[in-house]
Amino acid sequence: MKRLGDDLAAVLFVALLLLTATFLILPVLTAMAMSFDARSYLGPFPPTGFSLRWYRSFLNNRGYLKGLQTSLVVATVASLVATVIGGAAAVCLDRYRFRGQQALSAFFLSPLVVPAVVMGFSLLMFFSLIGIYEGYPRLLGGHIIIALPYTIRTTLASLVGIRRSLVEAALSLGATERAAFWEITLPLARTGVIAGAIFAFALSLDDVAVSLFLADPFAFTLPVAIIGQMRATFDLTIAAVSAVLVLSTVLLILILDRVMGLDRVIGLGIYKA
Amino acid sequence: MAWGGVLLLAPALLVFAFLFVAPILTMVRESFRTYIPGRVGGVADRFTLENYASVFDPTYLSYFWQTFRLGFEATALGLVMGYPIAYFVARQRSNRVRRLCLGFLIAMIFLSILVRVYSLALTFGPVGMLSGTARLLGLSPNGFTFAEILVIAGLVHVIVPMVGLTLVGTIQNINPSLEDAAQSLGAPRWKAFLTVTLMLSLRGVLSAFAIAYTLCISAFVVPLVLGKGVVLLVANMIYSRFAEVSNYPSGAAIAVVMLLASLGIVYGVMRRLNPRWES
Repeated sequence: MKRLGDDLAAVLFVALLLLTATFLILPVLTAMAMSFDARSYLGPFPPTGFSLRWYRSFLNNRGYLKGLQTSLVVATVASLVATVIGGAAAVCLDRYRFRGQQALSAFFLSPLVVPAVVMGFSLLMFFSLIGIYEGYPRLLGGHIIIALPYTIRTTLASLVGIRRSLVEAALSLGATERAAFWEITLPLARTGVIAGAIFAFALSLDDVAVSLFLADPFAFTLPVAIIGQMRATFDLTIAAVSAVLVLSTVLLILILDRVMGLDRVIGLGIYKA
Repeated sequence: MAWGGVLLLAPALLVFAFLFVAPILTMVRESFRTYIPGRVGGVADRFTLENYASVFDPTYLSYFWQTFRLGFEATALGLVMGYPIAYFVARQRSNRVRRLCLGFLIAMIFLSILVRVYSLALTFGPVGMLSGTARLLGLSPNGFTFAEILVIAGLVHVIVPMVGLTLVGTIQNINPSLEDAAQSLGAPRWKAFLTVTLMLSLRGVLSAFAIAYTLCISAFVVPLVLGKGVVLLVANMIYSRFAEVSNYPSGAAIAVVMLLASLGIVYGVMRRLNPRWES
């Protein structure tokens, strides 16, 4: 009786594990396979021949390329700004003790609980109020504020982990506060800072909800262009874009593993992706 | 605090004031303004509670109800599917398998939301491998119920990796020898798991639930693409107030209610998890 119950439980466990893994991977693999389809129309799976026509169609699409360019510029600028500003705030939160410090830390993380659509809508109304109607500055602003909580949190987490005695040792050996910061603290916190920047960059590249409110016909990100296409026609060009995005995700994971080791990423806690 | 500290903090405070506090306040103010059809933005000097009254109109409430219900179903399913993965990874002895699984989970978290919805739409769509699913369940592929199922599938796809990764940390911190002890005292393995490991991980499960549920009820892209226009969640309603009818005051009121709902859930769960959290 005991054996039977355990066998049943084991079978259920393995079945659930396989089902979940299949559910996560199968659709993505399907899309990647379909991106190499040689047919000019959306035919049933599997593809009947191999071709790169959908990749060519992606590269010939002005809208996608323009969106990609805007996405890369916005993600780069926003993640850099967020890393520097957020890093500075994290250093302050780590080094000084003052009243309301806990509340301030919580405040800096609070955009994480605001739904992206609410964020985008409120930013849009505020930008209209102060007279900013161009897409580029609006997108930059929106992406900086969604990235900041991540850069603050990861930098703070890595600063807190540094033993104060290391800095004190440098100071007692004659280093100035400034030298101790640049020579000891920053190099030790490097992993957290880089991880925060990577998170910010990835988040910005993938954002749909905020960008959809802030983009205009002249400045739009790649996800905005894709979602427009997805609702209009359902062709396989998006499968090709998807394959490229999957490849860049894998690349990102390899970089993360190199920079900090995947085991440490867990410690960060990932609230929203 | 020294001047140095103020200088370090100033840029972040300025950015938060301009890009976070001011926009939220603008939205709250807009939600009390009167809407005039054909005009973008509400009228300034006419304060009204009408926008909030209409949120509690039965038709609107049904959208909220649908959002909370679908979110709950997806989250429950996500926990059931994510827990075994977490258990598998946390109790994994081989370091290589463990790293591979972690890499997979993290990659699935970073996977673009557009790739997810497109892949699911393709796979369950008319040309996909699983196009027969609707007929198998006795549903019309273009019907409401199947659209609901697709939306739930999309939400589950988003939250399973996140739930899994959160729970890996929780289960890792539970001593495996406790389960062994229960077994040596005569409990079958499944019972040892249910009464020891699962019980000890309930706090982690609750926080995974909160993370996943807040994400689900604010979902936007998943229902936009997979809902096929028949399953609309609250986030889509806000967007349509902006994009289709330009009724900003009404959209703002819905957004405020939604914001309060997600703050309430996070706050409630945090208090549950840590009674001293407020201090």
